[in-house]
Amino acid sequence: MPTTAKKLVSALALGTLAAAAGCAGTTASDENVALRMTVWTSNEDHLALFDSIADAYIADHPEIESITFESLPFEEYNTTLTTQIAGGNAPDLAWMGDLSADLIDSGALVPLTETLEGAEGWDYGDLVPSVTGEFSRDGELYAYPFSNSPFALYVNTDLLAEAGQTLDPAALTWDQVSALGSAVHAATGKGGFVVNDFNYSSWNTLATVWTAFGASAWNEDGTECGFASPEMTDAFTFLHNAVYTDESMPGPGVTADFFAGDAAFAVAQVSRAGNLDGSFAYDIQPLPQGPAGDYSVIGQAGMGVLQSSAHVEAATGFLAYLTDPENAAKLAQYFPPPRQSLLTGEGLAANNTKFTAEQLQTVVVDQVPGAVTLPNHTNPAEVAQKAKTALDAMWTPDADVPAVLASVCDAIDPLLAA
Amino acid sequence: MRTDAAARPPRFGPRARRAALYIALIVMAVPFVVPTLWMITSSFKPLNEIFASPPSFFSANPTGAAYAEAFSFQPFARQYFNSVYIALVVTATTMLVSSLAGYAFARIRFPGRNLLFVVVLVGLLVPGEVTIVPLFQMFKQAGLVNTHWPLILVTAFAAPCVLATFIMRQFFIALPIELEEAARIDGLGRFGIWRRICLPLARPALSAVAILTFLSSWNLYLEPTVYLTSPELFTLPQALTRFTDAYGGEMWNTQLAAATMTAVPVLVVFIFAQRQFVESLAHSGLKG
Amino acid sequence: MADTRIKPREAAPASRGPAARRRRVWTMSRADAAAGYLFIAPQLLGVLVFVIVPVGLAIWYSLNEWNVFTGATTFVGAANYQAALDDPQLPKVLGATAVFSGGVVVLNLALGLALAVMLNRRFRGSVLFRTLFFSPVVVSVVAWTLVWGFLLQDNGGINGVLAALGADGPNWLQSGPTAMIAVTFTQVVRSVGINMVLFLAALQGVPGELYEAARLDGAGSRRIFFRITLPLISPTLLLTAIITIVGALQSFAQIAVLTEGGPGLSTTVLVYYVFQQAFSFNDIGYGSTLALMLLTFVMVLTVIQWQLRRKWVFYED
Repeated sequence: MPTTAKKLVSALALGTLAAAAGCAGTTASDENVALRMTVWTSNEDHLALFDSIADAYIADHPEIESITFESLPFEEYNTTLTTQIAGGNAPDLAWMGDLSADLIDSGALVPLTETLEGAEGWDYGDLVPSVTGEFSRDGELYAYPFSNSPFALYVNTDLLAEAGQTLDPAALTWDQVSALGSAVHAATGKGGFVVNDFNYSSWNTLATVWTAFGASAWNEDGTECGFASPEMTDAFTFLHNAVYTDESMPGPGVTADFFAGDAAFAVAQVSRAGNLDGSFAYDIQPLPQGPAGDYSVIGQAGMGVLQSSAHVEAATGFLAYLTDPENAAKLAQYFPPPRQSLLTGEGLAANNTKFTAEQLQTVVVDQVPGAVTLPNHTNPAEVAQKAKTALDAMWTPDADVPAVLASVCDAIDPLLAA
Repeated sequence: MRTDAAARPPRFGPRARRAALYIALIVMAVPFVVPTLWMITSSFKPLNEIFASPPSFFSANPTGAAYAEAFSFQPFARQYFNSVYIALVVTATTMLVSSLAGYAFARIRFPGRNLLFVVVLVGLLVPGEVTIVPLFQMFKQAGLVNTHWPLILVTAFAAPCVLATFIMRQFFIALPIELEEAARIDGLGRFGIWRRICLPLARPALSAVAILTFLSSWNLYLEPTVYLTSPELFTLPQALTRFTDAYGGEMWNTQLAAATMTAVPVLVVFIFAQRQFVESLAHSGLKG
Repeated sequence: MADTRIKPREAAPASRGPAARRRRVWTMSRADAAAGYLFIAPQLLGVLVFVIVPVGLAIWYSLNEWNVFTGATTFVGAANYQAALDDPQLPKVLGATAVFSGGVVVLNLALGLALAVMLNRRFRGSVLFRTLFFSPVVVSVVAWTLVWGFLLQDNGGINGVLAALGADGPNWLQSGPTAMIAVTFTQVVRSVGINMVLFLAALQGVPGELYEAARLDGAGSRRIFFRITLPLISPTLLLTAIITIVGALQSFAQIAVLTEGGPGLSTTVLVYYVFQQAFSFNDIGYGSTLALMLLTFVMVLTVIQWQLRRKWVFYED
């Protein structure tokens, strides 16, 4: 077992003991504070970075005894975090993705704006306005958007060459991607384009496609369903044709992993570049254009402090330190930052072995300011399941696209109205 | 040989029948065996070979990397230990609790015995999903969430234990009573009779109980998913589904390697113990 | 060895008649009754604390609405029960539950009995085959289902083999009927070993003389099976039927790993639906309501079986 992992295990064990002691009736004191933060990465480099920042903070803050980072599996992160909160075993700080709306609405998160604005040298105005909306209510920030990873089009240039195709990056459109994918599939039997993580289940990732057609899952305040719109119909007609007519997109039940070399294109976040193992030549492009012109989509992750923490002040203090300009620059090695000052192609390239500064400029820096986020709603699990159940009918050769989309709205309308 | 063949009726001779039996058994065994074998061989494949088309049974470039990954990615050895020790504690507790209760329900007459037996049997019929939410709240009140206690207590006393009690009762009912009467005359009390006379005779039923209980604890999936949140407390079935990268992508070959490591030792134990297992069930009283 | 164990059992029914029992059992004494209560106390207490009390709590939860993030509860009376009646998904879920459980029980009992009959005789390799058919039982459900998940992909092992044979396999997990077949089949193959062994045990308890007598009377093997074997092992059949039904109604891991209840709701069985409501959607009140429905089903089925047993179970006392 590598030493980092060992350290992590013993740190976790200590954390659990400390938490158990806390439960046993000792009142929250301002000494021997043990903080716990749930995260969904289990990457050793990520955890080592967090540990080193935590160690530096503890050195200056004797009242803090330990700060542990608890890795929960991504897939069950929301369920596990909710269970912990419901079970009275909530962490002090937590990463959050699509659970943020529920957490904010139920008052489970500590407001951060005042603390961060007041923190010395923190420079609140440095935050890019487009990235704070997702984690704000009425102008108040509830989570620091530490990761703002744009979706981009990964290209397996080896597969394109094998199929005798070339890609013209200027004004690349979805129709061209589909045509190229179709040609690659016909020539090599490999997949054309895949939307990573979609797997015919996580439909919200398809926002990376339908935004190109000007569609959205629901309106701004999340009260009206957008699936039955003509734009959405165009988008799904395109996808349905890609699967069943052009065969440029692998169908349901077919595993085609771009990073294992099984597909010519993948829509995936820039942060997935770590999965490129050098077994094929690749390129990266901004998302292709659609009828609605240029657009960009980001997937966000935030870090917040839970109200239920026995040490809200200490936890908020640590969050301010973890996200100050100096540490934010360190985090930017792995997570595209929310700070204007850090969003430069060269800055990002300094720690990126997969892409050039120029590539990062086009797929990250140019995209973040105008980006939309993946659709997110309160009660995310139920919305996701209801829509998924209705959308399953889309993935048959003779599906009636408008009818299926109408049924999606029927399924989620009661939830949107609530 | 010739005389055999000559004496055989043309279509349904013993040899033809036997051949037909073997062919039928071999064909039927395919879905039982191939997945396990494929799991084992595929755990040595590099990732890009697992979904290679056409599928292959054996890897062109076998590698043990997935096995190393399984241990570095999660505290897998610890999780292995958790599963083993929980199953052993549960099995031992169940053997004790069920043999006591089974004996009493079979042999001791006390007011309300039949009613209480029905009450206990209800424990066999209530699906775990009905009780899991309230149990979660109860264990939360007791401060036992994210510990192994719920997994141990519920399995050792609820449904699997009730099945065990039922098996033990059926066995003791069938045991000849003369032995006990002799012991009684020798001055042994109830506990002495249970301990000295009945338990030693109950070995087949006890081993059937042990095997069934061990398996139900070993295979528990919903409960650990609900109760446990720290990876170092996970049990194996739960750990198996956690081999995903930071974004939820499945680490297929690591999953297969881990699944192989969880299945093979139990299979080996079973292969060596299978005769005793079938015999013990045959004599456990379960046949009615 | 085996014979000495079996004989007393065969003799037991005779000594179990009411008259024999009254004579043979010790006269009831207070001390003895106290020992009885003491012996059953751990089991009884366990069932009370870990089964009966939680069922009571579940009834209470079903009358309330919860906010898991804040811990607030509101009494809503029968609202969750009304919601169940109005739930457009529920009829499909119940249908899937009936098809899945029914399929599993029928196939499991039939296949288990067939395997037991085939393997009851000793022949070269019979022990090996028993081991093979039993082996999936000891593979964890999750591991087993993960592997089948691979094999059932459109470009997975099963369709690869079918393609090699010149057949075009369906996209197993992507259409309702084939997905249901897939989850039922994998569940049966995984768990039939237990029933096979239970039936083997029962078959070994059928006295050989009975078969010989029947053969002397000129009965064919089919007739012997239906007239002698089946009635004699019917108590085991009852027990396995109950265990298998309860097990089928609780198959959570298979669905969670293989299909996540899809496509559509085609493999969303009640157990999986309950889990979604209570733990994914955090609707504990509604989840409890549905769980109680599940309990009612199990109870009704069991009572029916228990009532019917007098019709088909042989030598019940």
